[in-house]
Amino acid sequence: MRQTILRALEQVYGNLVHMIAEFLPRFLVMLIIIVIGLLVAFVLKYILRALLGLTKLDRVSDDAGASRVLRMAHLPPMTELLSRSIFWVTWIGFILVGLSVLGVAGLQEQISRLFQFLPEVFVAILILFLGAVIANFLSRTALLAAVNAGHPSPKILSWSIRFVIWILAISMTLEELGVARRTAISAFSIIFGATMLGLAIAFGLGGQDLARKCLERYLGDTKKKEEKEPQPL
Amino acid sequence: MAEDVFLSDDLLRQLMSVGEVDLLVGMSSLHAANTVSHALDEIEESFQRNFVRQRVVIVNVGGGDNDEDSARAKGHDNLAEKGVRVPGITSLRTSHRVAANVPGSPSPGIALRTILAAADLLRARACAVVSPAASNLTPDSVANLLRPVYREKFDFVAPLYTRNKYQGLLARNLLYPMSRALFGWGIRELFSEEWAFSGRLAALCLNQDVWHEEAIQARPEAWMAISAMASDFRCCQAFLGEKSPVTKGLGRDIVEVLRQTVGTLFWCLETRQSLWLDSGRSQSVPTFGPAHELTSDPTDLDRHRIFEMFRSGVTELEPILSSILDPETHSEIKSIVSLEEGKFRFKSGLWVRTLYDFAASYHHAVINRDHLVQALAPLYRGMTYSFLAEHSDSSPAEMETASETLCGEFELQKPYLMERWKAKVEVKL
Repeated sequence: MRQTILRALEQVYGNLVHMIAEFLPRFLVMLIIIVIGLLVAFVLKYILRALLGLTKLDRVSDDAGASRVLRMAHLPPMTELLSRSIFWVTWIGFILVGLSVLGVAGLQEQISRLFQFLPEVFVAILILFLGAVIANFLSRTALLAAVNAGHPSPKILSWSIRFVIWILAISMTLEELGVARRTAISAFSIIFGATMLGLAIAFGLGGQDLARKCLERYLGDTKKKEEKEPQPL
Repeated sequence: MAEDVFLSDDLLRQLMSVGEVDLLVGMSSLHAANTVSHALDEIEESFQRNFVRQRVVIVNVGGGDNDEDSARAKGHDNLAEKGVRVPGITSLRTSHRVAANVPGSPSPGIALRTILAAADLLRARACAVVSPAASNLTPDSVANLLRPVYREKFDFVAPLYTRNKYQGLLARNLLYPMSRALFGWGIRELFSEEWAFSGRLAALCLNQDVWHEEAIQARPEAWMAISAMASDFRCCQAFLGEKSPVTKGLGRDIVEVLRQTVGTLFWCLETRQSLWLDSGRSQSVPTFGPAHELTSDPTDLDRHRIFEMFRSGVTELEPILSSILDPETHSEIKSIVSLEEGKFRFKSGLWVRTLYDFAASYHHAVINRDHLVQALAPLYRGMTYSFLAEHSDSSPAEMETASETLCGEFELQKPYLMERWKAKVEVKL
């Protein structure tokens, strides 16, 4: 009895030692990979920051209105954001590779799934970000043009443009992520179509006078309007 | 040389056959088919009357071989070469004419670059740029532009005009006082279609790497004047007579004019920071002929509409203006928006601070720069309304006094701009 217990304990101990002996090198390899990943991520971050500084990306971002969107979202400037992103993407990549070295059952499968899904997540984030920048830029362009032309409802025009672009960006993001793909496309088609139809009916039936005035203004003689303001130069 | 790259073989051939010249007059004949013949006659006559012994050339920049205007200018027979003389006048030199055809529709920047390159190659001592569409183009006005450069050794000549007291308000209330306060030279017509310059200023400007810039493409003349100031070249003004009214095109569209002129002025502030951040008080510029003159002809202006566009613009653009203006300036503007039309006045101090806020925000690029300049339009309309109401019965002398006061306000508040210019951008959510 005693011998059996001792043999079992020896076997367990042997297995434990074997497992530790097998696990420790893997763990060390994982740590080495993570540390190397950290160094590589730092190097890539500084190289990218220097390259983007040379290309004056922040100035382009300012001009496109992207910097303001970033500020509103409490995010750093474009150059800093991209260089930090490359740091984290690189390091997380190395961490996942390191974890896969451990050989834990089930974890490898989850990691490979995550790796497969990562590009779609990045593309989705990119689509949302571009959508925000484009919506902001175009809605402001429309607002300024409408105000300076004396349009009666500039904010409605501006918000309509912003709304349509956001709807488009969100539906594209959902489609990219594969979340309720059919529902997203159908919802976009219904919302967009209904909005346009509603606007057309409201403008054509509800605002006949306004429609006539607008057409007269855009298609009529502009000379009379020009004479009402002094020549600036 | 740089100009060899963009000048066509045909143009180089023409310029080589001309040789060296003393005087060069350049113009862009694009969209001026009806007036180009008249302009060429006036320039030729000016040469025959005023510059009998000088070697002269007219460079006409047109829009390619298919351009009707340049074809007409090219086909217009040279009076001097044919021996046709203005009665009682004898020129001792042959007057040359060069047609520079640029592919597409040449912008003012491309046209000027071509003229500068031609002036540089021909070693011209005095050059002038004129507009064939201007109805005030006469032999005397051409001579008045060229004479200070050729005879008095000035490097840049800006025009001066007689004009209606309600016209040119952008120049009177913004471009002139602001450029005078910041750059230190009181040039009234910084943006004009007629000006003159020396050969050395042409060479200096030609060699600068700015020709791809949007500001230079649209209105290069102010940049040229500021380049002359920056290099301590001699600048002056010459009286040319009555200002031609802008009857067509974008010259009457306030937003487009703001983009071209204020956008260029802000761009010059950005690129010439060392010049104006260190410059002291403004100095007067020598003037040839009578000073700036004003007439009081009746005009058809809808003041109520101007005021309404100011009021609605400030209200609708509130989020944009809040990111451009200092909070105190913005709140003052919002408070005057609520005033009744009859009591409304845009005080000069507030106007100056508004413009300096716009200039600083342009520098910090708080929003897209083109959008920023467009957002100035409602405020400019507010100032225009205030000016029209305040000076409905003012004499030219009173208006001149008001203009001087405004210039003084711009100079007084220059430290405010410098402070905002150098400040770090605040994050506004």
